[in-house]
Parts: sequence; structure tokens; C-alpha cells
Amino acid sequence: MQEIMQYIPGNGIFHRIHPITKLLFTVIIVILAVMTSDLLLLGLLLVVVFLSAWAGGLGRGLTEQIPLLLILGVMLVLFTVLTMQGGEVLFTLIPAGIPFIGGGLPVTTGALLFGTILSLRFAVMLFAFQLLVVSTKPGELVTTLRQLKMPIDYTLMFLIALRFIPTLQREGIRISEAQLARGYAPGDGLMGKVRGLKPVILPLILNSLGKADTLGLTIDMRGYRRGKAETGSISVGALDGLVILAALALAAVVVASSMMLL
Amino acid sequence: MIGIDHFGYTYRNRDHPVLSDISLSIPTGSMMIITGPSGAGKTTLCRALSGILSHVYTGTSTGSITIAGRDMMEYEGIEELSHTVSMVFDDADAQLIFTTVGEEVMTSLENSGLSKKEAEAELVKILELLDISHLADRAPYTLSGGQKQKAALAATLALGTEVLILDEATSELDEEARNLIFSILRTLADEGKTIILVEHMIDEAARYADSCILVKDGSIAASGTPEDVSRIIRDALPPITKRPRKAGGAALIESEGLVHCYGDLRAVDGVDFTLHKGEIIAIVGENGSGKTTLVKHFNGLLKPTEGTLAIAGMPCSGHSISVLSRHTGLVFQNPDTMLFEDTVRKEIAFGLKNIGKDQNSIGEVLAEVGLAGKEETNPRHLSRGERQRLALACVVAMGQEVIVLDEPTTGLDLAESLQIMEILMRLSDEGHGIVMITHNPGLATAFADLVLKMSNGKFIAAAEV
Repeated sequence: MQEIMQYIPGNGIFHRIHPITKLLFTVIIVILAVMTSDLLLLGLLLVVVFLSAWAGGLGRGLTEQIPLLLILGVMLVLFTVLTMQGGEVLFTLIPAGIPFIGGGLPVTTGALLFGTILSLRFAVMLFAFQLLVVSTKPGELVTTLRQLKMPIDYTLMFLIALRFIPTLQREGIRISEAQLARGYAPGDGLMGKVRGLKPVILPLILNSLGKADTLGLTIDMRGYRRGKAETGSISVGALDGLVILAALALAAVVVASSMMLL
Repeated sequence: MIGIDHFGYTYRNRDHPVLSDISLSIPTGSMMIITGPSGAGKTTLCRALSGILSHVYTGTSTGSITIAGRDMMEYEGIEELSHTVSMVFDDADAQLIFTTVGEEVMTSLENSGLSKKEAEAELVKILELLDISHLADRAPYTLSGGQKQKAALAATLALGTEVLILDEATSELDEEARNLIFSILRTLADEGKTIILVEHMIDEAARYADSCILVKDGSIAASGTPEDVSRIIRDALPPITKRPRKAGGAALIESEGLVHCYGDLRAVDGVDFTLHKGEIIAIVGENGSGKTTLVKHFNGLLKPTEGTLAIAGMPCSGHSISVLSRHTGLVFQNPDTMLFEDTVRKEIAFGLKNIGKDQNSIGEVLAEVGLAGKEETNPRHLSRGERQRLALACVVAMGQEVIVLDEPTTGLDLAESLQIMEILMRLSDEGHGIVMITHNPGLATAFADLVLKMSNGKFIAAAEV
């Protein structure tokens, strides 16, 4: 089973640079993705993130997420098309020939464009964040966040979220196996599937609540919230400089071309 | 020394106290066992001793507890207490917060005030002590239940507190690992630490511990040396007599050369296995030896990579789990993995509806597992022992010929374990074939017709008993 958002050991560029550099790289990419609404520039950002992943030997982990992103992208486009109109009408989802409702639900160029931009933005942000997470040991990430004076509670929350993703994935599988063994068959159709989730989701939530109680007590009893401030200095190397320079150059390109477009 | 003086506790929004009038003193440098049926108040007592009840929960308490010469209420909070008391909870998974075992233990060491260099040396020692050095870089989700328990214990030992409380922290370990842990705890007690552990296998822990208390219905029902308490418990139970071996009936499960691979790992490696009608087979073996992987084949959850397997005369290849699970019921280790309805009746009805069976038998099945009259109770309000029996009832109601149980007695005391065994014997008399995985060798030899030991995916010894 593929675990999502988990550290993958390796020795590529991204593994060798300091977490703070990666954090900065991710933040720059995310800011750029939010600021620009130009398809070409968003495409460029996506390509840059992918090339970086490849250079760092992490391409496979990212490509595995493509099917999920495609589904999300299609849904985003669909939602914008249904809820927003702008520009020219390309065609209508309900053919004009049908009485009363014919010609309803027009698909417009504006909505299509906006939906695509949203999907691309989402993809860039997700991939950039994933690049950070899969190439950084969570412990190092936490140390860095502490050095940046992030409050201990937030740092722990971030760490726990990452840590429990695969555990919940596995627990979900175990529960669905247990229900399969009781002859459980998820219903047909969308509603059947949704109703069929109950025997799996309910134990998953109830068990997680029990875990959360123990988890909280453990954190307190091990004194993790004493929040001993990290004092170690941040030492960065030439490679870190290079990555930051590249990210800044990219920012310059995006900003400059946005200005030209204006 | 820890002193408990007429202590009682009632959880918020509950009518009845969970603990009442508990008085006890635990000398420094001693090791005490707490035992008793599930739901008796053992966990609450641990939480009282660790300060959780006084400083985190908001129930009402009576009496007092003193720890290291100070009243529990004099401590500022759990934070201050954590320098003196540490606790290992029964859910190991929820106590592994970091993403590798090494980091988990390391963080505890650094929090206990050691320098980075000292902590690194100590890390190596602790991992070696618990025989988990090879797990240092592993993520929690890749560990078995027993490995998680060892890792959680390592992180707690790393804190080096004067008082250490373990609440069923060894329930998923095999016999050898349990004995390793007990001997480590004994050494710590000899070094002057105070150790309190909730344990069902008191006979195994007896030679390490100094004293034992039996908790029943929120009070101390007996106390003394572990041997004394063990005798009191046994005297209250009917004697365990070896049941006569059943003559073999028709074969319900037959496998030849069964292999199951996870990637390169041969988790099950060439197993020949036959289960007859009316037979009880126990499978024992260390954590990770392939027991659970093997039994998941018996209802079609897994398909063999190589070899043949027939269930009720049907070859398993070509039949889906929905067909095979009509012949084999599987009770998972943790009943909470399957319980989701809000009443006991609905919980049993779920399985019956799935296979299109009528619901007239629910009352009868509940009586069979000793849960008569609990039809309208919420399964989550039952004790662990009762939930385990409900999980069994859910499967028994479906009436499959084969019943497979993965660790049916985890978290249960001897009386509750014997209750489960009695049910299994009745089922076997009715003609069901039964396979149970267990870490309890005593139960296996007393109640099974055949005990099979698994190691590295193979059966290494078969003893007809």
C-alpha cells in the first residue's frame, strides 16, 4: 500500500538541503501560485516543481498522486462551470432541443478558464508541499519549526497529523476487512456507497477519539509541552543558496511576466 | 512510597463510582501487580496513581493519594508530576507520536534533561535492552502490535522516572518478550524504582513481582503475594480439566504448500493444514511469525501466492470473500475493529442481514455467550470482556462451519478467558471447526485438540495434546 505524505529516505538534492531552505522554497512557490492567475505561468510553476522532484529523485512519489489530482481537477472544473458564468457560452449541458429546461447549464469560457486555474494552483501547492514533506525527516522539520519560534502546540499538531495519516489508512483497511468477514457488501450506486461507508467510518472515528485521549495524556506525561526552545544555530550550505536563488529567480520571472501581461 | 488512603472516584456524568474505598501502600523499590476482570477499575486506578484523575479529568474523588511524600493535589499539574511518574497506556499506537522509533525514544531522553551526546549513548542502551535496535529507523505504522508495545515502553523507560505504571502494556507480546519485559522491570525495582503493572498473566509475572492486588467492582477483593492472589483466583474457578480429544470428522479446511508473499517476504511459507469438523486447533508463535496472515486465507481475505486451499470443499481460488465468508467466520483481535452499531441487537443483526438470514436467533446467541438481556445496550458501554464475547456472538449468529479467532483473550482475565473457552468448546460439540491464534500457551494446551507452533511462516512443531 502506498502511504501518502510520508518521508522517503534518499540522498537527492532535496534530502541534502536544510529544511529551512525547503520551507522557504515551498512558501515562495505557494505564494507565486496564489498570486498569479496566468495559465502559462502556473504551468511553468508545475513544471519547475516536477523538475525539482525529478532532480531530487522523488519523481515517482509525485507521479503517483496524478490520478487523484486529475479527479480533483475535473471536479473543480465541473463545480466552477456549474456555479459561475463569464465570457462566451461554448455549449449548454442540457441541449437546446429539450422543452422547458433546454439550453440550461451553459458552459462558458470564463468558468472553464477559472476552473482550470484553480486546479493548477491546487496541483502546484500540493506538489510543492509534498516535496517538502517526503524529503524531510519529520523530526528535523519539527526542530526547524521550533527554531523559527513556532509555538510548540502547533508544531506537535503538524507532526501528529503527518504521523497518523498512514495509521488511519491502515486502520480503515483493517475495519473494512473485519466488516467484509461479516458478509458486508457496500451497496450499489452512489447512495448505496455512501450508506455503505457507515460500518467503516463509524468505528474509525470512535477508535480515533479513544486514541486522541491517550495521545494527549502521553504528550503531557512525557513532558513534550515543556517546549524547551531549540537553540541550535541554523547552518546552511552552498546547495541551499542555490535552491533559494533558483526559487527567487522563478519569482522574478513570474512577477515580471505578470507585469508585462498587465 | 506511594500511599492510597480510602480513595474513591466517580467519572463525570456517571452515577456510580468506578473506585471506592481503596487503601494501599506501595513501598519504594517494589513491583506490584494489579489484576482483575475487565471493567473492574484497574485502568482508573492507574490513572489515579499517575495523577491524571486529579489533574486532567473532572470527576469527583474521595480520600487521598500521596506520591514521593507529597499529596497528589499539592503537585501543580501533570507536567510537574511527569518528573516523578510515567505511565504506559494499553493502546501502544496512540503513544508513538514521532515518525520513527529512534526519534520517539530520543525525544524522551532529551526531555529528561540529558545532553545530546548522553542521550545518544542512552538511546543505544535502551533499544538494546528491549531488543528493538533493528527498529530504530522504522515508522510506527510498519510495526506489529508487540513491536509497538516495546517501542512505547522504551520511550517511557527513557524518562527515567521514580515511579513507572504499565496498564496492560504487554498484552500483545509473546511469552518470551513478556518475560524479557518482566525481568527488566524487576531490575529497575531492585535499583529503587517503584513499578506498578496491570497484568492478566499473573502466573508468569509472579516470580518477578513482590505483591499483587485483585480489583473487583472498584474495590480491592484480595491482596498479598502474587502466588497467594493467583491461588485465590483459581480457587474461585472450576478446575480446568483437559477435554477428551475429538475423533476427526470431515475436513473443513485443507491446505497444501500454502505460501503468501508480501513483496519479497514469504509471510506464510509452505503450510499444510487440515481442520476437521468439531476440532479446535490453536496456533501459537512469536509476533510476526505469520499467524494472522495464515488465518486471513481461511475466509478469503487473502489468496495464496502459491499452493492450494479448500474451504468447505471449495477451492478458494475462483471464489470471492462474500462466498467464502459464508463458511468461515473470523473474529478479529480487537472487537472495536468491527463494533459500530448503537445496540447489541443491531450489531448482531448487521451480519445476519448481510447474508440474508432471519433474526430470530439473536436472543439465543446472546444467551450462549453470556450476554442475555443486553440486547439494547450500546456495545461501547460494555466491558472489554463483554465486547469480545459480543464480537464472537456476531460471528456465531451467522452460523458458519468454521470459526477463526485471532487472540480471543487479549485484555481478559483468567475467568473471562475461560468463559470464551467454554463457548468455543460448546461450538465444537455442535460440530463447528475452530482455529484460534493465542499468546497464552496454558489455554492452548488445555483446550485445543492440536497446538501448532509457527515460526517464520512455517509450522515448526505439531503436538497433538
